[in-house]
Amino acid sequence: MLKSKNLVPRGRLLIAYIFVCSVFSILIVRFAQIQLFEYNQYKKRADINSIRAVPIAAPRGMILDRNGLILVDNFPTYILTALPNKVNNNNFSIISNCTGTDTSILKNNFKRYYRGRFIPSRITKDLSFDELSCIEEHKHQLKGVDYSQLPERSFPSKVDMSHVLGYVKEIDRSLLKNIDNKQDEYEVGDLIGWQGIEKQYENILKGIKGVSYSQVDAFGREAGSVKGIDNIKPTPGQNLFTTIDLDLQKTMEKYMSKYRGVALITDPLSGEILSFVSSPDFSPEIFTGNTTLHEWRSLVNDPKKPLLNRITNGLYPPGSTFKMITAIALLEGLMIEEEEIIECSGIYQYGDRLFKCWKISGHGKMTLNQAIAQSCNIFFYQAVQRISMNRFINLCRNFGFGNKTGIDLPTELTGLLPTRDYMNKRYTSRGWSRGHLLNMALGQGDLLVTPIQLAVYINKIATKGKTYTPHFYLNKPPVIASEINLKDKTWVNIQDYLFNTVNDIDGTGTAANPQISGVKVYGKTGTAQNPHGDDHAWFVGYADDGKNMISIVLLIENGGSGGKVAAPLAGNAFKYYFNMSSERMVLNDVKNSI
Amino acid sequence: MMLKTVYNSLQNFPISVILLPIILTFIGMVALFSISVNQFGVIAITAFTKQLLFMIPAIIGFLFILFIPKYLIHKYIYLMYGLILVLVTVPFLLSTIAGTHRWINIGLPVAFQPSEFAKWIVVVALAKYLSDHNLEMKKFSTLIFPIFIALLPAAIILQQPDLGTALILLTPVLPMLYWVGSRPFHLFMLIAPIFSIGTAFHTVSFTTWAIIMGIILYLSRPNIFFGIIFYFGNIFLGLLAPLLWNGLRPYQQKRILTLFNPELDPLGAAYQTIQSKVAIGSGGFLGKGIGEGTQTHLKFLPVQESDFIVSVIGEEFGFITIAFMLIVFAFFIIKIINLAFYSKERFAGLVLIGIGTIFLSHVFVNAAMSTGLIPVKGLPLPFISAGGSFLLSCYIMVALVLKMGMEPIE
Repeated sequence: MLKSKNLVPRGRLLIAYIFVCSVFSILIVRFAQIQLFEYNQYKKRADINSIRAVPIAAPRGMILDRNGLILVDNFPTYILTALPNKVNNNNFSIISNCTGTDTSILKNNFKRYYRGRFIPSRITKDLSFDELSCIEEHKHQLKGVDYSQLPERSFPSKVDMSHVLGYVKEIDRSLLKNIDNKQDEYEVGDLIGWQGIEKQYENILKGIKGVSYSQVDAFGREAGSVKGIDNIKPTPGQNLFTTIDLDLQKTMEKYMSKYRGVALITDPLSGEILSFVSSPDFSPEIFTGNTTLHEWRSLVNDPKKPLLNRITNGLYPPGSTFKMITAIALLEGLMIEEEEIIECSGIYQYGDRLFKCWKISGHGKMTLNQAIAQSCNIFFYQAVQRISMNRFINLCRNFGFGNKTGIDLPTELTGLLPTRDYMNKRYTSRGWSRGHLLNMALGQGDLLVTPIQLAVYINKIATKGKTYTPHFYLNKPPVIASEINLKDKTWVNIQDYLFNTVNDIDGTGTAANPQISGVKVYGKTGTAQNPHGDDHAWFVGYADDGKNMISIVLLIENGGSGGKVAAPLAGNAFKYYFNMSSERMVLNDVKNSI
Repeated sequence: MMLKTVYNSLQNFPISVILLPIILTFIGMVALFSISVNQFGVIAITAFTKQLLFMIPAIIGFLFILFIPKYLIHKYIYLMYGLILVLVTVPFLLSTIAGTHRWINIGLPVAFQPSEFAKWIVVVALAKYLSDHNLEMKKFSTLIFPIFIALLPAAIILQQPDLGTALILLTPVLPMLYWVGSRPFHLFMLIAPIFSIGTAFHTVSFTTWAIIMGIILYLSRPNIFFGIIFYFGNIFLGLLAPLLWNGLRPYQQKRILTLFNPELDPLGAAYQTIQSKVAIGSGGFLGKGIGEGTQTHLKFLPVQESDFIVSVIGEEFGFITIAFMLIVFAFFIIKIINLAFYSKERFAGLVLIGIGTIFLSHVFVNAAMSTGLIPVKGLPLPFISAGGSFLLSCYIMVALVLKMGMEPIE
């Protein structure tokens, strides 16, 4: 029936026309709406869609000593990256041959820095020139493998003050999750200060990242630069002047290299830290470059604990260096006459316990002055009984014990100041007696302090209570360490006693006297018993030549007698410092005259 | 005599029917070229060179159909209908390509998609059925068998799954039935359930629809008893729709859902819609110029060479080209309708109406999808989108239009 007639009323044709026309009208109107009326809106979105901002790392600021000598610098190193969508096993073995790094390490790095299929992931770093040229030779086999520069921390001064300087860490994916509330400021591959000054002053040192704009597709693949938009150059981090005196630091590191212990030199008048040695130390370079697991393990497992920052995180009994607390409490409370004599027979019974003096024969008749200078124990066992526990603890607290000093390092311990509450908890209220206070007067017992606390303590004595919080940042206005108001007479007396300790023939600290004319040296030795081995040798003191004043806290772990071991080192330090400063003055004069 | 026949046929040759598709093919080629040049200097196979190669089977298919006598087509179309039912079933027995059963691997670098050919075969088969039998078009029951003819392959293709093509297969049915004189009310009854389901999820829409349905029923004055059953049947269906909804495949649910709330799934189907709108919108009136479409060349657009080719054209060549392209399509389809109207045979007229509907629905669905008017359906734009089977199918349909449009040579 091919020939059936096609009889269609005209009305149907009209309906068909109307239908077709309305369909096309709808479409044209829709396109006009999007392309003409909403053009601006979509144009804006298209621009955002296609442009990606890639951050450019800003070089970190340098860390300098107080005279502008460089402690930490940046050094350009070459890193090797690979595009995940192009790299294959063969590439890894070629790179392994060139760099001598095991493929498993390369692959591990690759996974660690992986951010996406089209983003280059780092394989290795610190490429030498030979390694680079080897890679370049095999370039045709290494599609998607590329190298670029990365500024890395370097340490031209060769000091070992890792505890102060700290280190930077490169952020990988797991680390990024652990950065507190600053996650949007950092990206995988960025450096972040992880310890020490690097962490403390991260905001100053890190600088502001730049931005490089590039065209990208929806997969994040780069497709050339963007016309009309300039890249933003990174702002390098600011250089940070520290209070460290590089020469002094190096000298102190040399002195301390034989010992386990602490040498901390500060300026009591400003709180500036001139030298900060926690020995044994280690080179900060361990954190740059490819540290092997072996190296790292040997550091962690070293029984000498080089990773411990002894100055802020080491807890020690302060020993006899603590006796000034008792002395001050007595003087301030008018509980002792300056000329009052207490007899030391070398042994003292309190309750059913026997307390001994370090001098077995006894010191004989002692004034407070002599008791400090000769570090008599019996005198203080007896004298401290005149003071209430609360008064004693409060005074300790006023000198900063039991609290953080506020030094500008990320970690610091509070030490242990055994208050009444503490003792009740530890021993129950019946389990302890005033006998414990006798121990505390000598800086023993439960009491534990950090060397930095002792520094604040001696600085307060040196400045009659008006010292500043110890710090490393040279240009920051110093913070006044919690003030302590004592009678001027008390301060003068204590300073006298400390002067005698170093200058009297009978004094325990005579070895600390550098015998430089015009330089007055004050100090106190300590020989702290500790349950873990031989006594710790302490010296705390200060010296001034009328212009400059420095204080020192010296600890030799298990070193024995403070007077015999620690005091001579302090003497050397004073000698070096005051000779050096007079040399510098001469040098400056020469410079000025030219 | 021979010469006169050729002259006559040339005089009757509707030149625009071949000219307009060529213009559209050219637009498509330029757009594909623009995409291809930026595929980073790869000379080998790009969408553009592929499409150029696909022109060869398209032209062969076009000429082949053109030179087959009309009566042969009429005679063997049921056979072909049977054959295409088999062909759309075959992919189910083969391994999947791109996760679906749409293609048959024919040993060439490109796979063959039989459902493309089902479109015009169903149209021709329907036309034969509707023209051969002296049907009482005013009776509703007459409509059932023609619908079945389209529904059977559509149901199979829906399982492939290819919702877009399945729906396209069904679209010519109503216009063709209307063309041969079905009562509009009967056709309304056919599509009423779709609206009942469509509006069921929205109380206001459903109420509005119920009122419209009531008015149409009142105006059409059917048998009272039947009218009530029809009305409440639809209401019941609407209430049942949520259950039917759960029967849909998740990706189909997602596509429908994201139409109403594109932000639901920024990287799924709506991501495509948003990216496509950004590309088209940012093209503005004149476009960014060939090779300058940032959205296109930065691969923000998915399947830009086939389903989203409109976005490329909109972005690079602007509204002016889009409008031109749509007008060309409009002229082409109007021309087909004209040919259908003036055709002397019912069969030819029906084939033309069917093919016109297929072209129209492709253009509408593709353009509306690219501009976010309807959910994303994987439907290409005739003559313009890349794709071998579809291009061949399109030119076969052009040949059919020419064939049916020319006066019979006797």
